[in-house]
Amino acid sequence: MATKQHLVIDPLARLEGDVRADVFVEDGHVVDVQVEAVMFRGFEIILRGKDPLAGLIVTPRVCGICGGSHLYKACQALDTAWHTQVPPNAWWIRNIAQVCETLQSVPRWYYAIFAIDFVNKNYAKSKLYDEVVKRWAPFVGTSYKIGLEISALPVKIYAMFGGQWPHSSFMVPGGVMCAPQLDHITRAHALLERYRTEWLEKVWLGCSVDRWLENKTWDDILNWLEESESHRNSDCGLFIRFCLENGLDKYGAGVGNFIACGSYVDPQFYPVSTIEDRNKALLAPSGVVYNGKYYPFDHLNVREDVTHSYFEGSWMLHPWDEETIPVDPEVAKKQGKYSWAKSPRYLINGQPVPCEAGPLARQVVAGYEEAKHTCTAAGCVEHAIDPLFRNIVNKIGPSVMVRVLARMHEAVKYYKWAKQWLGKVDFKDDRFYNKPKELPDAKGFGGTEAARGALMDWIVLENGKIKNYQIVTPTAWNIGPRDSKGQMGPIEKAIVGSPVKNPEDPIEVAHVARSFDSCLVCTVHVYDRKSRKELARFKLGGTK
Amino acid sequence: MATLLWLHGGACNGNTMSFLNAEYPSVCDLVTDFGIEILWHPSAGLEMGNQVQALLRDILAEKIPLDIFVFEGTVILGPNGTGRYNMFAGRPMKDWVYDLAHVAKYVVAVGNCACQGNIPAVPPNPTESTGLQFHKTKKGGFLGENFVSRGGLPVINIPGCPAHYDWITQVLVALAVGRAEDIQLDEYHRPLTFFKTFSQTGCTRVQFHEWKIAAEEFGQGTRKGCLFYELGCRGPLTHAPCNRILWNGVSSKQRSGHPCIGCTEFAFPWFDLAPGTIFKTQKVAGVIPKETVYEADKFTYMLHAVTARIAAPKWATEDMFVV
Repeated sequence: MATKQHLVIDPLARLEGDVRADVFVEDGHVVDVQVEAVMFRGFEIILRGKDPLAGLIVTPRVCGICGGSHLYKACQALDTAWHTQVPPNAWWIRNIAQVCETLQSVPRWYYAIFAIDFVNKNYAKSKLYDEVVKRWAPFVGTSYKIGLEISALPVKIYAMFGGQWPHSSFMVPGGVMCAPQLDHITRAHALLERYRTEWLEKVWLGCSVDRWLENKTWDDILNWLEESESHRNSDCGLFIRFCLENGLDKYGAGVGNFIACGSYVDPQFYPVSTIEDRNKALLAPSGVVYNGKYYPFDHLNVREDVTHSYFEGSWMLHPWDEETIPVDPEVAKKQGKYSWAKSPRYLINGQPVPCEAGPLARQVVAGYEEAKHTCTAAGCVEHAIDPLFRNIVNKIGPSVMVRVLARMHEAVKYYKWAKQWLGKVDFKDDRFYNKPKELPDAKGFGGTEAARGALMDWIVLENGKIKNYQIVTPTAWNIGPRDSKGQMGPIEKAIVGSPVKNPEDPIEVAHVARSFDSCLVCTVHVYDRKSRKELARFKLGGTK
Repeated sequence: MATLLWLHGGACNGNTMSFLNAEYPSVCDLVTDFGIEILWHPSAGLEMGNQVQALLRDILAEKIPLDIFVFEGTVILGPNGTGRYNMFAGRPMKDWVYDLAHVAKYVVAVGNCACQGNIPAVPPNPTESTGLQFHKTKKGGFLGENFVSRGGLPVINIPGCPAHYDWITQVLVALAVGRAEDIQLDEYHRPLTFFKTFSQTGCTRVQFHEWKIAAEEFGQGTRKGCLFYELGCRGPLTHAPCNRILWNGVSSKQRSGHPCIGCTEFAFPWFDLAPGTIFKTQKVAGVIPKETVYEADKFTYMLHAVTARIAAPKWATEDMFVV
């Protein structure tokens, strides 16, 4: 007999901002879901009529977790609007700072946000439970403490160049404000080495970063796991074993389409900042993967659908033309709207397609040789084109486990890149800034890959003021509500099909939501599909 | 031993991220060494859903004593005072904030948003955001100008966008070890121990300021010169210890060539981000900074500036921080 249940999680927490979702469960599996972002701050409205540079100060404050990424793309939006000539050194400093924000995010997210759910009492019967609690319990777990402490190191590098992290505004159109000295470079090397020796190799991998990077397939990873005790007993080894034991490799797939707008620029391919030349200068490739096929990324194919969002209208517009007019949720609900998030879509052959953004998306895109040809610079840098996650997705499909593993894999790649890029800063050429000609009327686009995925700004300047400013975040790509065609976004789609073993404590739904690392506090309501009556409320075991 | 509850309103999580960078003490140290029991935190709490709701109800019913209530983010009142732009655990966040502030022993606002409304409250303030006890420079805010928590203090404001982790952790330790009485507050309820001095105090460019040597441009020019005269640095005018208690233990805005944007003052963001005001010094007659630290008249200021520049040693015009 089918079980039909309604559970409420309010708040789900550990995602920045607020989210609520209605989840419909039958026979122990989620069959339908609605995810609602329930907090609104109106940054795009505030930016209208302000100084063209206001985005540099305002957008990092959209999200303190990805503030540096907001700065990077806000700056690039002005660079492309004003066709700046950014000196090579400034690009390397921007790249290093940007990659350090992600290097910070990986351990901080894994230990503080994700892994503490494995301490949930639902897993008490696991053979690995005692070990998981010992290492990953919040505040007192052995790895938790190391992970949190180590996460403060990469952002020290950011602070040396940017003055502080979070919330610096040191990148400006035309370059950067800083002019680093030798000791900043040497200290940055030292901090990265500490990151590698004290956490990445010693705690996370149990092997060298180079040994890990030899893994090109899922079979390689399984072989790596069995290769030595230090691999098996590393946090990565424990994570994989725990996931396989508890089925986290079996659910949370999502929409299966992926978007990466790419990031990090090789200045030799980008003497003048233009939207047209951006793709080829990217060191982390851009692209969209739809139905297993690679498409070059073009910002003109991005749309925002507001049909089910708490904003006026039911249109789907390119961000340069987009409006942001909030509607009281009480009123909007009557029009079938249910979230503050908009629904970004990418046009493939004119059809709007929902796409997953994030580390898994980046790594799948990086698995296509075609990416090398679109993004010429990426073809020239080690590990930019990387077959591992395309192979894993083809072999076992996307899942909570695979999504998390992609995020952790990036720590290894990005450590290597940060080291290389420090070597590119050339003190014989001491330019870090070229003053741009500020055009009063212009349009710009800037994009980067924040830790949690594709992050983009569109700016329209008129009479020396901001006429329109639109920000499309990775969280919107992932958590946005249905579009005008009724298509679910990646998180809604990924929750459908998830098991709910214990209706009193549907931790699986939380794992799926968290695996995307959304910047939203999440509220999940699980309803009886027929009566819509609340049967039970979601409780987490906790440690108390 | 002290209990602590941390909630987010119209927040970006920047203060939490700053807090997690803490070193002496670290966030883990606060728990293990100072016995601060974090009842719940939106980014770090194990509990979700009903457990959080039950906890909040127990606090309001005073079954669980709440020693420190930390709030990050603006209090969102919109639309039309309903608070529906920011729902939390089934009701507007503003209602939780009001009730919790009235049972907590101490209320701490971390970051400018909670202190005074900050960027979300910039006109047109689409969310009707405000701070806990100030709206911009005006006292009152959400809780009213006469609010005093049970421990006898008004809202303790730790401003900044974000607040530095050290300012947060030292205040928490002071409360946890029974030194609340030693926390002296200024007119904006900022702890004087941090906010009596200026952002310029300890600035490595202060010698350039004295000799009136300006940094003209970003990038290479900023290894020398003071950022105050051309690039809008508010260091001499801003109460903050940023060059005394370094960011991330290693730097400050000015040390990296970044003009201070005055984010610990309650008028931040300055001039409401109007065109022509960002990273540009506002001037009188194209020469004299509109806002100076001098109490003298403009003529005396000019005389002093010219004299200083003539008397400046050679090094003051050179690249002092060489490769």
